Amino acid sequence: MNAFASFGIWAQRNRWIWAAIGVLILWLVLSVVTNRFSLSSLSGVILSASFLTIVAIGQMFVVTTGRGNVDLSIASVITLSAFVALLTIKGQDANLAIGVIAAILLGLGVGALNSLLVVGLGIPAIIATLATGYVLATATLLSNKAIPGFAVSPALKELATGRISGVPIMAAIAILGVAATSFVLRYTVFGQLLSAVGQNRAAARLAGIRSGPVVASAFIISSVLASLDGLLLGAYIGGAFLEMGQPYLLQSIAAVVLGGTLIFGGSATALGTLFASILLILIVTTMQIIGLPPGAQDIVQGIVVIFVLALAGRQAMARRTPADLADGDKDPEATTKVPAAVQPR
Amino acid sequence: MSHIAVVVEGTAAAPAGPSVVSLSGITKSFGPTLANAGIDLSVRAGDVIGLVGGNGAGKSTLMRILCGAMWPTLGAISFAGEEVPFAAYNTGEAQRRGIRMVHQELSLCANLSVAENFFLESPGDSASRPGWRALYRTRARAALDAVFPGNGIDADAEVGHLTIAERQMVEIARAAATPGVKLIVLDEPTSSLDLDRSKQLRAFVRGRAKAGLAFIFISHKLQEIIDIATEVVVLRNGRMAWQGHASDASIGKLVQLMGGDANPIHQHSVSAASSQDLLVRLSGALTSELGRDVDIVRGEIVGLAGLEGSGQKELLHAIFKPDRKQQATVARHAEAGFIAGDRQKEGVFPLWSVLSNISIGALARRSALGVVSERANSDTAKRAASKLRLDDTRFQSNITELSGGNQQKALVARALVADTPVILLDDPTRGVDIATKQDFYRLCNEVARGGRALIWHTTEDAELLACDRVLVFSGGHIVSELAGEAITEQAIVGASFAQPAVSQSNVASKRTAMAGLGRKLVNAAPFIGLAAVLAIMIAINPAVASTFGLDLLLMPALSLVLVTAAQMFIVGGSEIDLGVGAFAGLVSVLSATLLYDQPWLGTVALVAALAAYAGLGGVIQARRIPAIVVTLGASFIWVGIGYALQPTPGGASPDWLTTLFGWSIGFMPTSIIMIAAVALMVLAIDRLPLGVVLRGFGNNPAAMIRSGWSPTRYALVRYLIAGLFAGAAGLSLTAINTASDINSGNSFTLLSVAAVVMGGCSLIGGIISPVGAVAGAVTLSLIGALLGTLSVSSDYNAATQGLILIALLTLRSLTADSRSES
Repeated sequence: MNAFASFGIWAQRNRWIWAAIGVLILWLVLSVVTNRFSLSSLSGVILSASFLTIVAIGQMFVVTTGRGNVDLSIASVITLSAFVALLTIKGQDANLAIGVIAAILLGLGVGALNSLLVVGLGIPAIIATLATGYVLATATLLSNKAIPGFAVSPALKELATGRISGVPIMAAIAILGVAATSFVLRYTVFGQLLSAVGQNRAAARLAGIRSGPVVASAFIISSVLASLDGLLLGAYIGGAFLEMGQPYLLQSIAAVVLGGTLIFGGSATALGTLFASILLILIVTTMQIIGLPPGAQDIVQGIVVIFVLALAGRQAMARRTPADLADGDKDPEATTKVPAAVQPR
Repeated sequence: MSHIAVVVEGTAAAPAGPSVVSLSGITKSFGPTLANAGIDLSVRAGDVIGLVGGNGAGKSTLMRILCGAMWPTLGAISFAGEEVPFAAYNTGEAQRRGIRMVHQELSLCANLSVAENFFLESPGDSASRPGWRALYRTRARAALDAVFPGNGIDADAEVGHLTIAERQMVEIARAAATPGVKLIVLDEPTSSLDLDRSKQLRAFVRGRAKAGLAFIFISHKLQEIIDIATEVVVLRNGRMAWQGHASDASIGKLVQLMGGDANPIHQHSVSAASSQDLLVRLSGALTSELGRDVDIVRGEIVGLAGLEGSGQKELLHAIFKPDRKQQATVARHAEAGFIAGDRQKEGVFPLWSVLSNISIGALARRSALGVVSERANSDTAKRAASKLRLDDTRFQSNITELSGGNQQKALVARALVADTPVILLDDPTRGVDIATKQDFYRLCNEVARGGRALIWHTTEDAELLACDRVLVFSGGHIVSELAGEAITEQAIVGASFAQPAVSQSNVASKRTAMAGLGRKLVNAAPFIGLAAVLAIMIAINPAVASTFGLDLLLMPALSLVLVTAAQMFIVGGSEIDLGVGAFAGLVSVLSATLLYDQPWLGTVALVAALAAYAGLGGVIQARRIPAIVVTLGASFIWVGIGYALQPTPGGASPDWLTTLFGWSIGFMPTSIIMIAAVALMVLAIDRLPLGVVLRGFGNNPAAMIRSGWSPTRYALVRYLIAGLFAGAAGLSLTAINTASDINSGNSFTLLSVAAVVMGGCSLIGGIISPVGAVAGAVTLSLIGALLGTLSVSSDYNAATQGLILIALLTLRSLTADSRSES
């Protein structure tokens, strides 16, 4: 009983554990039921999950800035980046550096545009990034016509699909990225500022924090990571196609929320995002194994997101209610209604 | 806790009428502080009770308890002798029993007309009949004229366009006109009224009191209290300090009664403030009443006094961020830290430990790339905490587990580790117990003597005795400066009540006029855009202008117009639906497959889809979760179901459906008639009482709940209406394409948001403009055809639409008026 209680307290601070437990259970069940799952098949799942993890880490930064911020442009960034990689690298290792620089520049450009719209002009993040995404969609259509062919540079191909003693290189990259992100969130000034801005923007301002640059960096990180991810994803699938980034839009948000990052902002966990990414890919894989029709996968993912959010929403309310009551309000609902997506500046 | 309460029934002379409501033994504690302690108050029909007291005396708490907005810790309430348990008492019950309060912070919906606001307060009779608006218009006019003859307020005017004084008048008249009202609480009703209006109000109160209505009149203008009240109640430190007939009261006596603690908090020595190191200089309009600049130097504590809202807070923020409003009146020469008194809203970071809450003060001033060391943080914080007698064993606890006083100490520690020469304090001792307060004053003294300047805004006048200098505010200006021995509560109260001579400048109005012109242009954008697009297309291809040509062009726009109508209702509730296009696609698939093959099953499926869509709104409202993510998740569900039913485009449109969208009357394009019909339908819903309520929720949900409307029910209704329009869009897709494709609606999602924004709806909610949005939707859906006419590749379609949206939002944000930003 006591052990349960102390685990509960520990789990409250380490919300990633729920996603990790989910992965473990689902994997065990599948291994027993199908008799097919092994450590190596799990590593295949982790390889696919790596691509999701990288985008989701970027999304996590944006969500953590609070006020219902999300980056809806990542889907288009991923697709466009894959096309740009085909255009710049042209299957030659010699052009790899140019390709990487182009991907980073693309990410920086889109991130800067998003930041300008959100921070500079005070346009709600959801609309600003949605609009940016549409502009990028045209760029994708144009580059689709311009690509010379589906040749992928061998070095990049090796990076995206290769393994070193059984461990996918991509998985190692994703795990390193998660470790670096955890360090940034926990041990750097930036991580603290990000959390402060996401928790309470008014308090952050009065504590002397300039929230503009913090929020802008989150959008830039998100775009750059999505862009690099598009480059690698293109190499993984051996080309690029329209709408290839589309599944990552909902999945990245789902991975963030499922991993234990608060959708209201202020608290992020990179480890949770990693495990949630693996869990999501496992769910999709499971559905493929069971042989559900194509639409069912979408349905399940949508339900998972709404269900987890509804649960998390209650948690956040329970935590905030005492504060509201201390403030003298019998009915916190009357005063705390905040338009989720469309907060004015 | 000793009672100084006076029992009314016992002491009052012959009762003037039956008791309307009485409160007895009301005690309300916030943690360790008592906001109300054993207060008895009885109100009889025809009473006008003047309620006075200094800042923080407990007036608002008492009134909130009376109106059911708050429950007391102890005490009872009874109506006409019948006791009502507080568990069964809330704002709705208070209203049913005839209590109305006119709040100081206005509770009107700014996006609605005066008459519509009257409707929200008493929706009861004949609200559903046609012409209901005329009824409330008449009622509003009558009510306004009864209280304020010759007010000149148009009952059809949007409240947001009225001046503050006019809004105040509307609110007072609305409360007074409510059928069945027995007691009206007026909280500072004259604060924004000029003398004539104030006299009218008092004449009205006197007249209605004679007819048996009771009033509680709260005012800082003591002359008014003595003039209007039959009885005066003085509160002080949460207790009843005096109660008696107005004839026994005088301004001098009331001021004396309201004064705070007799023993001064702190004996300061003026000589201590010596260093001529200038930190802040105040000048210009701010100090024009004073006739000289105010310099704040190292080592002193400067208090900001005056009635609440006289400009003290504004000054603190102006000092913190001098460039915010280009105020040349404030010059700061050193860094400033801020200690907020409203800890929940602008002080604590609720997810963090005490330690993190303290050390962020130092981190905020470091390079963002720096590395944080927990140990270094802890050492710095400990040094600050030891000065504050803040227990450092609780550093790892969550900040919200601490008492208000200790939270406040942590905020002071935050300012100390930030190590700024200027420290700004915004009512820091609010809700802090007396022992901690003493600690706090001692600490402030030490900090100041250590070479910092403290600028201290407080709503407790007694605290100002701890200051070296006090600047007294009135009407946004410093009207008096007190120093040393001259700082007494009498002097502060006296100066606070001085009326300011200078009126507000009208620079702001000029700016809003400029912005108004810009806004008009932005608002006309959809119509200008539509006209331009059509003109270009007709110029290049005259055949477009024929009935057939227009129909061909505009028929595909119908679906987008319907989706836009759906999105408009969601945006009106300050949310955005990212699944609305997918939902239309799903309905299209359902109607082309199930409905075509098995009409009954199809109908059931459609109804179920609609119910699921409306339920989504309920979930979003009940769980308070971001609509965008939920609707994005839902969009996957809609698409998934569609795919499962129909993996590849196909199906067929039922004959009746094709006929429904395929009729023709010859001389007029069918599409134009149908688009106009959609616009009219939205307009009609918007004009119904239902539409008014929905817009009210979009603008001011707190006020709507206060008036007794259910947020969950109207969230469901909002999504149901949106679902109906989105469903109609799906049917139109099937009918127009005579087949279905689950992806056919996807592009509508962004386009509908864009059209709604183009049409002039505010993303913050509450503003619906059907005609503009429909024009916007038609324009956007013509972009593809326009690009085709101009022989531009259709690849540019999405970019053009995205850029139009960005451009419009940019324009809108640049021309936004203060109303839409607040």
